[in-house]
Amino acid sequence: MLRSDSEKLVRKVMAKFVDEEVIPVATELDNKGEFPYHLFRKLADMGVLGIRYPKKVGGSGGNTTLYCICVEELARGLMSLAAITAMQCLMATDGLYRYGTKEMHEKYLRPAFRGEKIGAFQLTEPEAGSDLSNVRTLATKVEDGWVINGMKTWSTSGPIGSFHTVLTQTDPDKGLKGLMFFFIPADTPGFSHSKKFDTLGTRTSSLSEIYFNNCHVPDEYMLGELGRGLDVLLTILAEIRIMTACLAIGLLRAAMDDSIRYCKERVQFGKQIGKYQLVQAKIANMAVNLEAGKLMCYKVTHLIDNNVPCLNEASMAKYFTVESACSACDEATRIYGAYAYSMEYAVQRYYRDNRFLLYGGGTHEVLQTTIARQYLR
Amino acid sequence: MDIIVLIKQVPDTTDVKLDPKTGSLIREGVESIINPDDRHALEAAVNLKEEKGGKVTVISMGPPQAIDAISEALGMGADEGILLSDKAFAGADTWATSFTLGKAIEKVGKYDLVICGRQAIDGDTAQIGPQVAEYLRVPQVTYVCGIEKVGRKKIVLKRRLEDGFERVQCPLPALLTVIKEVNVPRFPRLGGLIDACGEKANIKVWNAADIGAQTRDVGLEGSLTHVIKTFAPKFKRQGEILEGESKEVVNTLVDKLVENNLI
Ligand SMILES: Cc1cc2nc3c(=O)[nH]c(=O)nc-3n(C[C@H](O)[C@H](O)[C@H](O)COP(=O)(O)OP(=O)(O)OC[C@H]3O[C@@H](n4cnc5c(N)ncnc54)[C@H](O)[C@@H]3O)c2cc1C
Ligand SMILES: Cc1cc2nc3c(=O)[nH]c(=O)nc-3n(C[C@H](O)[C@H](O)[C@H](O)COP(=O)(O)OP(=O)(O)OC[C@H]3O[C@@H](n4cnc5c(N)ncnc54)[C@H](O)[C@@H]3O)c2cc1C
Repeated sequence: MLRSDSEKLVRKVMAKFVDEEVIPVATELDNKGEFPYHLFRKLADMGVLGIRYPKKVGGSGGNTTLYCICVEELARGLMSLAAITAMQCLMATDGLYRYGTKEMHEKYLRPAFRGEKIGAFQLTEPEAGSDLSNVRTLATKVEDGWVINGMKTWSTSGPIGSFHTVLTQTDPDKGLKGLMFFFIPADTPGFSHSKKFDTLGTRTSSLSEIYFNNCHVPDEYMLGELGRGLDVLLTILAEIRIMTACLAIGLLRAAMDDSIRYCKERVQFGKQIGKYQLVQAKIANMAVNLEAGKLMCYKVTHLIDNNVPCLNEASMAKYFTVESACSACDEATRIYGAYAYSMEYAVQRYYRDNRFLLYGGGTHEVLQTTIARQYLR
Repeated sequence: MDIIVLIKQVPDTTDVKLDPKTGSLIREGVESIINPDDRHALEAAVNLKEEKGGKVTVISMGPPQAIDAISEALGMGADEGILLSDKAFAGADTWATSFTLGKAIEKVGKYDLVICGRQAIDGDTAQIGPQVAEYLRVPQVTYVCGIEKVGRKKIVLKRRLEDGFERVQCPLPALLTVIKEVNVPRFPRLGGLIDACGEKANIKVWNAADIGAQTRDVGLEGSLTHVIKTFAPKFKRQGEILEGESKEVVNTLVDKLVENNLI
């Protein structure tokens, strides 16, 4: 039977969207630092926000590979838009989809796919970054549900989110085994947030601290089975890491595309700078890392789509592609010379945005440690 | 309202390069897309369907890879896709192409409107729409830039002329060719696109026999014109674009005209 390849077509459509709608306005949006609601709504109209979810809950019926293709293409245009879209599709909604009731799906999940409600995902606390066993936000059982007290920091969409998936501690004596995720709508009494952080990169994202002061939620807002909170995270951890890796691939491509263009434009000593071998070496390194990174990433997405465990491969892909993207963005700022230092060109934005990829989904020191552990045990 | 949209898959460039030896298009490294005008034709059809109900069928004649154009059209909201693909269709001129498309439309049967793009960016003749209308013996309105009123029996359209607009009322069924001013095409929805790639997609592939055509009437054999030679014209004259503030540009222009003894 003659049929098109969905991966090829989804990429083609997303690439066209990014080329026509995102790239022309990206640097301006970033300089303004406002969340691009209009682009987010367009992505919703295209069904991007529900790409990983089945049609029966309002999704687009895609899978992890198609999801990662979307975020890769978006990251080529504007990292903060890509990151928020990636979050909306996965971390902010997966618990809600898996463990939420039908009513919660109607009230929050479908509107999230339509771009009407923005979701957020909260692990990090002032004392708990890489070390999640130190989470102190406390969930206390009461007769008709749970009461949440504490705070989170580095909350992407903290100030603009309509609902939050929040990691809490239900029993400090149990450490990691006491962790549980709760679904907390932003209009729950006792919920508040700080001012938006002033950040180095991904400047159209809104990051803040968020606070829970006796936030009361019903029992069905506990996501998953009591005592299995960590499993909720582990279910999607490989996917979080590979998504981050695909954001890196998108950024690497942006840095590489701009570098190639500039290599052909800029003439010094009577020659295009791309004719100099030392500049060629930079392009060659970008190209090799891109090719290797793509192979790693889409191997992992296909493993996930076939339900094969692959956390270690996903960690390696995240580590490799993010380091490659950081190196490509660095090299791009050298190829552009002083013009990389001007806010008019996109290269400065790539250079700032690449830092964001280092932390989310696990720092590289932690990833290296867990990768090595697989071989040294 | 049942609407048939004719779409063509074309190489993604208006700057088509020819192989100097063979004279044929160099397609390597050039992505294929739905002909830009045809996206507007699709948008017009899907809009009308959303407003009036009914069904949108897309038809394309092309090689097997033109399936991608059909799938994308389904992603944009078309209900059914028909790919006309057969080795016998190869090498068709506009006459044979129009005949083949006309036969396929007859096989589909019921329609209120056929919508085409004005012109394909590769073949560039703008002949297909009018020729298909002639074949079907339905009225045609070309260069449509606005669809103003749609009734059960007639339609009111705005068409662009060189020096203005014309408002035309036309009985249905009819054939329209549209230009890009008619609307802003939507991006395909990924859900529809994914479905279009699945086994259950509403896509048919028809060959010459399926549309009841003899091989002598289609493709190279059915073509009335024969291409003797194709070549890329050599541009001897090189234009120059002046940039900058208008005052400065005008001064440079005058200097240049004087310099060349033109004024
Ligand atoms: C733009 C942005 C958006 C974010 N969005 C969110 C969000 O939406 N939700 C959320 O929950 N969090 C978010 N974060 C926070 C992010 O997840 C954390 O930064 C990350 O978990 C690391 O924690 P930390 O920054 O506190 O670093 P720390 O854990 O304090 O690490 C500091 C340094 O110590 C190293 N280190 C720590 N432990 C070890 C170890 N065992 N071995 C070796 N080295 C170690 C680290 O590698 C790092 O170099 C965001 C961060 C940024 C920058
Ligand atoms: C004299 C002559 C000889 C030719 N000989 C050859 C040849 O030997 N080999 C060869 O490969 N090509 C040949 N061609 C090109 C081929 O005939 C045309 O590409 C084709 O007929 C469509 O014409 P066009 O591209 O000019 O479309 P236009 O008339 O510019 O297209 C207008 C609209 O018609 C519709 N349309 C056009 N083509 C299709 C299609 N295939 N399926 C569905 N809808 C369509 C679209 O809506 C499009 O927007 C020849 C063309 C000419 C004029």
